[in-house]
Amino acid sequence: MYQNFAPIIIFVTIGLLLAGALFIVQSLISPKFNKGGEKLATYECGEVPEGSAWIKFNIRFYVIALVFIIFDVEVIFLYPWAVVYKSLGLVAFVEMMIFLLILVAGFAYVWVKDDLNWVKLSVKYGKGRYSELAAKEESSP
Amino acid sequence: MSNLLSLSDYLPEMILLGVILIAIVMDLVPATKRFTKGFILVGLILVAAFLYQGDTSASSLFMGMSAHDPFGTFFKWLFIIATFFVVLIAKYDDGMDQSIAAEFNILLLIVMFGLFLMATATNLVMVYLAIETVSISSYILAGMLRNDIKSNEASLKYVIFGAFASGLMLYGFSWLYGLSGSTDLTIIRDVLMTQEGPVFVVYISILMVLVGIGYKLSMVPFHYWTPDVYEGAPTPLTAYLSVAPKAAGLALMIRFFTMTFTDGAGETVANVDWTVLIAVLSAITMTVGNLLALRQENVKRLFAFSSIAHAGYMLMVIPVISTDSSAAIMFYLVPYLFMNLGAFFVAIAVSNHTGSYDLAGWKGLGKRTPLLAALMVIFLVSLTGLPPTAGFIGKVYLFSVLIKHQQFYWLAVVAVINSVIALFYYFRIVREMYFTDSDDTEPLRPHPILTWSIISCVIPVLVLGLYWSPVIDWVTASLKMF
Amino acid sequence: MDNLTSYLVISGILFSLGIFGVMTRRNGVAILMGIELILNSASLNFVAFNRFGGMHRLDGHVFSIFIIVLAAAEAAVALAIIINLFKNLETVNVDQADSMKG
Repeated sequence: MYQNFAPIIIFVTIGLLLAGALFIVQSLISPKFNKGGEKLATYECGEVPEGSAWIKFNIRFYVIALVFIIFDVEVIFLYPWAVVYKSLGLVAFVEMMIFLLILVAGFAYVWVKDDLNWVKLSVKYGKGRYSELAAKEESSP
Repeated sequence: MSNLLSLSDYLPEMILLGVILIAIVMDLVPATKRFTKGFILVGLILVAAFLYQGDTSASSLFMGMSAHDPFGTFFKWLFIIATFFVVLIAKYDDGMDQSIAAEFNILLLIVMFGLFLMATATNLVMVYLAIETVSISSYILAGMLRNDIKSNEASLKYVIFGAFASGLMLYGFSWLYGLSGSTDLTIIRDVLMTQEGPVFVVYISILMVLVGIGYKLSMVPFHYWTPDVYEGAPTPLTAYLSVAPKAAGLALMIRFFTMTFTDGAGETVANVDWTVLIAVLSAITMTVGNLLALRQENVKRLFAFSSIAHAGYMLMVIPVISTDSSAAIMFYLVPYLFMNLGAFFVAIAVSNHTGSYDLAGWKGLGKRTPLLAALMVIFLVSLTGLPPTAGFIGKVYLFSVLIKHQQFYWLAVVAVINSVIALFYYFRIVREMYFTDSDDTEPLRPHPILTWSIISCVIPVLVLGLYWSPVIDWVTASLKMF
Repeated sequence: MDNLTSYLVISGILFSLGIFGVMTRRNGVAILMGIELILNSASLNFVAFNRFGGMHRLDGHVFSIFIIVLAAAEAAVALAIIINLFKNLETVNVDQADSMKG
């Protein structure tokens, strides 16, 4: 059975040789420039780039991503359900509605708790032992 | 039984689910927000009522997914009692963030729902789902105090250890499925019993299942999360974690190890000798728990190690493959539930006054608040396993299993030595309370509901120490498993 | 290449990589990635056993769907906890969460 792989091996070898040859030829014939300064800079529409791309993103992105992933992945249960829906009939429909009802309760929770808004309007801290920490957090800019 | 017919035996779970959903919505509507806690307590009583009404025959539900049997019902009662107490007193812990009290209670109900599934699961899918339902909600509960670094850290350690352990267990499940061709525990047992071939694979799978369950039981060497999570988590949750998931883990352990990995008559599957392994691990568990508890200065950490040691005592009888061992564990769980909850509630009452869980805060409690100190002494005596308390009777039953079946005598010796070690650290608390004086002579004034909860925990501990035959009858009647 | 063994080998490799990741990484998110690898290896095992084990029922496939969903739920909770850790400690390095000892 190994001769079946012969064309693949020949193909891969030629591919590697060609790629290597291109690199060598390219380095031989290309003009030599001083590699530094603007040559290595990131291209940003002709502007001089400002700072690194490795910045901290707003934490709200993560919260929205978390909410999204939960509701997104739950949909996986709908696919097998939809496939056998016709043969199962009403029972399957009621069961899936109960499942969706549970999801809606979760969605309602997220909505009322203001987690779908970009700026959270109401942050409340209770009167726990750690409430002074919360007060400190609020007073600091 | 088919899916629709099963629903009639599934009323307690369905009501619980309804209570959870309604409670979530109630907490969101400003007009009904105040009544959420009361509604949850009423809901729990309703679940208990339907559990009481349910018939006592053993049957299989949802095409083999889950079982309806007296064994599961016994554990469900323990979960309801524990949840009721914790929901009741959670408000009176000053360390709690009251703005999220409703979420705390609802998540506690979801944990309880998972525990219900855990105690009745007879299918690998159901076991995995149940364990994850319990775990994921517990991770959130442990990190509930968002601005407290310790709570945050506790939930971080919990989630990493927990996800890792359940991942390992899942890999073991996949091999069990591959070996037997089914996810049903009874079929797995039947296939494994006739297994001639790769014993090594069976051994590895059993080991991985042990990791997952051992983590829930905080069995050494999977106990590293226990002290940190117990210390960092909100104390009502710590009290809950130390009893309810542990009981569910033991139920699962009995279903897996006493039912699935044996032929039911004392033979292990595929000649895999897991009994010695569990015997050694239980000896190590109780020894490590007791020795490390000796040098703790924080009461919550002390009880964390004490609960590890108690897991060791209860695991001691698992290697004896017999229904006697299940009965002994189930009997021990009843006083264990009350004495552990009670001890944690006293700790809450003390820390409400002192603001911390340091052992030093207990100084002179015997003079300041004689009632609370006296109740604590009863819990400690019971935890040590001395007469005339229920803890003593429970321990006697555990030991008698080893003696009766004439197996693992050395384990009984180790357990006796450990009980003596335990005496030292439990009585360190007694010494702090009665034999040291404090500058602070102000008496503690716990909220009446907290006091009455502690008193209602102490009654079973004392009564069962003198008159325990009803519980034994109940346990014997509950040994029917599907 | 269409046999059970190759799938089991791949899942074994995934499993080992996952354990390696959990054991060696100090970044909370990287540890989570290791855990996801372990879960995926189990998921792959289930599907492979179901496909090649001559089983008529779809238990394995259904199980792997449940694994995917629960892995997402677990990851969501774990990430939320790590975000909270970052708020409190300004780091996602789990070594620095060490206020409790003993």
